[in-house]
Amino acid sequence: MTIAAEFIGVSQSFGDFLAVDNLDLKIEEGKLTTLLGPSGCGKTTTLRMLAGYGTPTKGRITIGGKDATRLPPEKRNLGMVFQSYALFPHMTVAENVAYGLKIRKVSEPERSRRVMESLDLVGLAHLAKRRPKALSGGQQQRVALARAIAIRPALLLLDEPLSNLDARLRVQMRSEIRRIQAETSLSVVLVTHDQDEALEMSDTMVLMREGTIMQQGAPEQVFPAPANRFVAEFLGYENFIDDPRRGLLTVRPEHLRVAASETEPAVASAGLRLPATITSSAYRGVDLVITTAVLNAAGEEIPLVSTVRRDSLAADFMGHNRGDKVTVYTRDVDLVALPG
Amino acid sequence: MKGRPLIGTFAVLGYIIMIVPILFVVAIAFTDSQTLSFPLRGFTLRWFGEAASYTPFTSALLSSLGLAVLSTALALAIGIPVTLAIQRGKIPGKSLVEGLFLSPLVVPELVVGLALYQQVMVGLNQTALVALVIGHTVILLPYAVRVTGASLALADPFVEEAARGLGASPFKTFLTVTLPLLRPGIFSAALLSFITSFNNVPMSLLLQSRNFHTLPITMLDYIQQSYDPMIAAMSTLLLAGTVVIAIVAERTVGFAKIFGGINK
Repeated sequence: MTIAAEFIGVSQSFGDFLAVDNLDLKIEEGKLTTLLGPSGCGKTTTLRMLAGYGTPTKGRITIGGKDATRLPPEKRNLGMVFQSYALFPHMTVAENVAYGLKIRKVSEPERSRRVMESLDLVGLAHLAKRRPKALSGGQQQRVALARAIAIRPALLLLDEPLSNLDARLRVQMRSEIRRIQAETSLSVVLVTHDQDEALEMSDTMVLMREGTIMQQGAPEQVFPAPANRFVAEFLGYENFIDDPRRGLLTVRPEHLRVAASETEPAVASAGLRLPATITSSAYRGVDLVITTAVLNAAGEEIPLVSTVRRDSLAADFMGHNRGDKVTVYTRDVDLVALPG
Repeated sequence: MKGRPLIGTFAVLGYIIMIVPILFVVAIAFTDSQTLSFPLRGFTLRWFGEAASYTPFTSALLSSLGLAVLSTALALAIGIPVTLAIQRGKIPGKSLVEGLFLSPLVVPELVVGLALYQQVMVGLNQTALVALVIGHTVILLPYAVRVTGASLALADPFVEEAARGLGASPFKTFLTVTLPLLRPGIFSAALLSFITSFNNVPMSLLLQSRNFHTLPITMLDYIQQSYDPMIAAMSTLLLAGTVVIAIVAERTVGFAKIFGGINK
């Protein structure tokens, strides 16, 4: 594996606040890496240090194997897409995309060719003469992408690129960015707080919290095997059960089933089977969200959440009333043991 | 205005109170009579001719124009870097700096004028022109700082970073991104400063000398001695000039932006 960029023991603090804490991270060439975490986890600070908009207080950053720790942004040849897009309002779409090429003194016929090539890639060639103000949010974002790609950057950096788009467009742009990444074979670093986005788009996802990496790996490695409670919670595991024998167990609401009677069903001993009382249930179209209470080993009541898929649209909402005695259970394969 | 009859009525009343007296002055400028009186008698353009050939007015006009141009240029030369520092700089106490440069709006001009008279004209033995340029520049600084910054304040704060990321040096970024964003603000600040200096009375009144009079002061002197429609004609000419500048400002930048970007 070739390394496009690397953080070596990087820290950055703002006053007393340690935003990034002794970070070691390799960004793989030609892959899409997401930095994922809640706000304040240091993901944007990390991206900005890579782009040169912030200098580490400790450690080194290399880009393409060369030290870039103190290199100003204009010497890094990275394509950055800002959350607000940061298009130049006094230039047309084409002039925005041409900006980095002009700075690089790319001569005229070649410059126009590359501007149109980049705009074609994002499907906006027909709007080249417009001003950014005359475009929709989604179109502005594509211009920002085209502008960043046109300079043929060593890495493409995306800071929450989809967060200002409406829900439908956001989902559409995920595959769009993946397609662009595949067509250009660019190394991409994407910052997001949306785990669905990260799961769908990443080759590698890096989960961060308070300036340190909690877990990293391919989505299909990380998702079924969260390394700790923080990662599990962030990825949507909602049920945490202390088992005296097996330690802290977690199970997703989708995998925690609810059986109407206390006798059924028979589950292999490795799974989980607990008597419970329904505390609330909510109708959510295709799913029912059922909250139950179980007693843990210490005799304390803890809440568990199940989302139960209704078999058909005609299925009844019956059998799930507050106070009902039920059995919650899950298969062994859906049970994740967390260390500590 | 629909559905809010009270506010609408007040607005119309306000316009009437502001505009009607001005219309009287304009009307009297055309009267064929020896005094500033109503109703009008006949129609003549001769007061315009007399105003244009009255030497105290023409020389005072030149003085006023020169003073306005000079103090506007100085205020912008100081104001633009200050705006940049406030909007984009990483300096501590930004609001303190901004407050300092906006303070001439609230400090009585007569106080500043008196100080300049004592310190600059008497103390340093400088001419009235020097004291006036300093005084007007101080009055214009709030406009230069505030209006210039308005267009920059509305812009995406990351555009400069974007330019750097695309390969532009800090200087190149300033030339190709910051300055173009600043341009409409500079333009409207210049127009507004020019008008403010040109119409100023209190400061100019205190700092006048025998050989340097601004136009408003000369007109004030004139009206104390004679009472003929020539002064109305001169006022009408001034009004026309101001309206032209205001229209240019509105067309290029828009008043909403000039006065703090209320509508954006």
